[in-house]
Amino acid sequence: MGYLDAIQNITIADIKLDLMRTAYDNDEALLNKFDPRIVIIWSAIFVIVPWFFYEPEPLFAMLIAALLLAYLSQTSIYLLGLLIWGSVSNIGFIVILSSVVYWWQGGSGGLRGAVVDNSVALLPFTMKLTVISVVSLAAFSAMSPKKLAKGLLSLGVPRPFTFAIAYGYRMVPVLVEEYHDLVNSLRLRNKAPENSGLLRWRYYLYLLKLSVKAFYPMAFNVAKRSRVTVEAMETQGFSHSLGNEASRELRLGDLQILPRDVTFMLVSLLFVVVVAVFL
Amino acid sequence: MNSITITVDDLTFRYPGSDEPVLRNANVEIDSGEFTAIIGGNGSGKTTLCKAFNGLIPHFFNGTFEGTVSIGDTVTTDSDVSALSKTVGYVFQDFENQLVQPIVLDDVAFAPKNHGLEDYEARAMDALESVGLEDAADRFIWELSGGQQHLVALAGVLAMEPEFIIVDEPAAQLDPHNARKTYEQLREIQRETEVGVIAIEHHTEFIGDYCDRLVMVADGDVAWAKPVDIGLNRVEELLDADIHPPQVTQIARQLPNREGTLPNGRYPVTVEQAVNAFPTVAPKGDHPVKPDGRGSDKTLISVSDVTHGYPTLREGRKTVLDAFDIELYADSRVALVGANGAGKSTLLRLLTGLESPDKGTVTVLGNDTNDTLPEELAEETVYIHQNPEEMFVEETVREDIAYYLESRDDPDVDERVADVIEFLDLEDIADRDGRLLSVGQQRRASLAIGLATDPTIVLLDEPTGSLDLQSRREVTQILSRSVTRTETVVVATHDLQLVAEWADRVIVLGPNGILADETPQSVFQQPGLLEQAHLRPPQVVELSDRLGMDPPSLTTTDIVDRLATQEGR
Repeated sequence: MGYLDAIQNITIADIKLDLMRTAYDNDEALLNKFDPRIVIIWSAIFVIVPWFFYEPEPLFAMLIAALLLAYLSQTSIYLLGLLIWGSVSNIGFIVILSSVVYWWQGGSGGLRGAVVDNSVALLPFTMKLTVISVVSLAAFSAMSPKKLAKGLLSLGVPRPFTFAIAYGYRMVPVLVEEYHDLVNSLRLRNKAPENSGLLRWRYYLYLLKLSVKAFYPMAFNVAKRSRVTVEAMETQGFSHSLGNEASRELRLGDLQILPRDVTFMLVSLLFVVVVAVFL
Repeated sequence: MNSITITVDDLTFRYPGSDEPVLRNANVEIDSGEFTAIIGGNGSGKTTLCKAFNGLIPHFFNGTFEGTVSIGDTVTTDSDVSALSKTVGYVFQDFENQLVQPIVLDDVAFAPKNHGLEDYEARAMDALESVGLEDAADRFIWELSGGQQHLVALAGVLAMEPEFIIVDEPAAQLDPHNARKTYEQLREIQRETEVGVIAIEHHTEFIGDYCDRLVMVADGDVAWAKPVDIGLNRVEELLDADIHPPQVTQIARQLPNREGTLPNGRYPVTVEQAVNAFPTVAPKGDHPVKPDGRGSDKTLISVSDVTHGYPTLREGRKTVLDAFDIELYADSRVALVGANGAGKSTLLRLLTGLESPDKGTVTVLGNDTNDTLPEELAEETVYIHQNPEEMFVEETVREDIAYYLESRDDPDVDERVADVIEFLDLEDIADRDGRLLSVGQQRRASLAIGLATDPTIVLLDEPTGSLDLQSRREVTQILSRSVTRTETVVVATHDLQLVAEWADRVIVLGPNGILADETPQSVFQQPGLLEQAHLRPPQVVELSDRLGMDPPSLTTTDIVDRLATQEGR
């Protein structure tokens, strides 16, 4: 039991740290080095591009490229895993359901054949979804909040929205701490199941229940704190800045598209052309 | 710089939806050449008054507003909050929520940028320099300690180069060491730049040490504004408003034959003044009987050879406790003291089993925490969080108190809950949502949640943090009473007055482990030790030390007795 608990303790601390790293430690991330506008436009393009391909080979090449980019941008391995698990399980469910229906209706080739056929048929679709999720995750988690907000602001997104991004990043650690504290507080007042069952499933189900229960108090506590934030922002001239041209210029002053930004865009497009022609 | 004046003329204000005005015909003048303290009981309207200075009232809180408030020549009703805030900066009591950007420099530059000031970066750097945080410019807000975050909020205000800075209860959210540092910083800024500093404060010892003028707000009106020496001498009025004058002032007042007065006939308000006012011959006292404050010999908790830390983003794993050993016994009131980061909270969390030590063993009532779930340890050990908010998960305090018992299918939940509510006098708040109570009420409710479990060991993290004096007294009473229901209480605290009055064993934690493990008396006899742990003894201890009294007195009653007996001779 001690052994399992130790693993669990380490994972919680590590997941917390990994999330923080994703959110905050962007200095080395590849996609953070470019102008934010280029990265935003780039990711918008690459969310669309995969839909023009229908064969598994070019999509596979793109998936590899996307994963490489995610790796160079230090995307959280947990988030990446979660995303891929999400697409695979989602599609997997469709495969199973459609196969069972096919088999039920008396289709030829039996259940196994149906599963194989459907998997192959859905493979490109799965890959498209995975590519666009990995690309957007890499782009948006690699950019520092400041850069992301700046980029969006200069592309015409309203200031309250771009502010919300920076503020959101500021609040992530607060939310994480609050949530962890509440789950701990609940644990100290609950009773763990006496018989934890095979692979301790009852125990994990119990922890899952607690983690759901902690959400509402967390939202409540954080919302309560934001009352002061709104007051403080008023004193810091936030609403004044909304219509202020000088303030907007200060904010966007140092944005500049450099040769490397253009190169990055061209290389990416070239890659797509190569994939389209040769694969 | 010429000084400017805040003039409040016949101000009456009522919040929307309330029948009674918070402020009634208040009049006051505050000059930017001084360090002003604003004092008043709970709900007296002192915060509302200050929010009228930067226009939050009536522009942000639209209520019924009569009279005028002007800053120099500007009448606040003719201006707006962001314009007024250029002249009057405000550091909120919940200063963490004032910081809205992830990076320190960006947050300090937030207001100058909003106002379109081109030199925002230089302003931000200057402001950071003046609070001594220039090295932290590129750090993330969440990486900083509470004390540093307060200074960032202060720098954010300074970056606008205001004429006035309002600081709302700095000593409430900061530990005493950082609060003192903040006050020193504020006094320096005030002297060097002639910026008027206005502190809302109820710790009169800080007021005595740092402020020039004292404004007393009572029942929505400014009762008086006096120089600090005179203001703090109005002892009865202060006590009526639940404000404790500095310990030295109280001692002087209780000494017979007006022995403790200064040549000008007033009571001293700082230790320095008291040393001059009080009789100089040092009276001997009795040394305490129990040498080590152990309680009984029955070991309840043993921590042996524990090394523990936490992972950090950039510096790998940080070790907080290193080869740490301690034993805690039954029938004992233990105080864990030490600077921030010395490991007080970490040690308490290890005792709950929520964290397992990286190395070594923690045994609580015979259970190795490595092999026991925190849920099981919680049957006998209760942990009360530093931030009482984290203890409320239900919609009423009553349900929160019942939560533990219900999860264990206790047959007479209602009876036991009613019993605890009565024991702690919580009838008035039992059916309210815990999260919406004041901090003092939350603290009492969180103690009730803990005591309902009928624990053998109670672990409390900062039970008197951010409390006003009334609530502090109530919590201390609960602490004393709860000892009758439990075997051992362990308190992690910065509040040395609590230690002096309540504890019988003090463990002083330093950066490299335990610095001392003794009775409060012997700890307070070692000023060097306290300084090493970033602690400052209560005024009564400092005073008796300065008067050469051996052993030092820990309570005002004791010192008054000893000084008075000597008078008689």
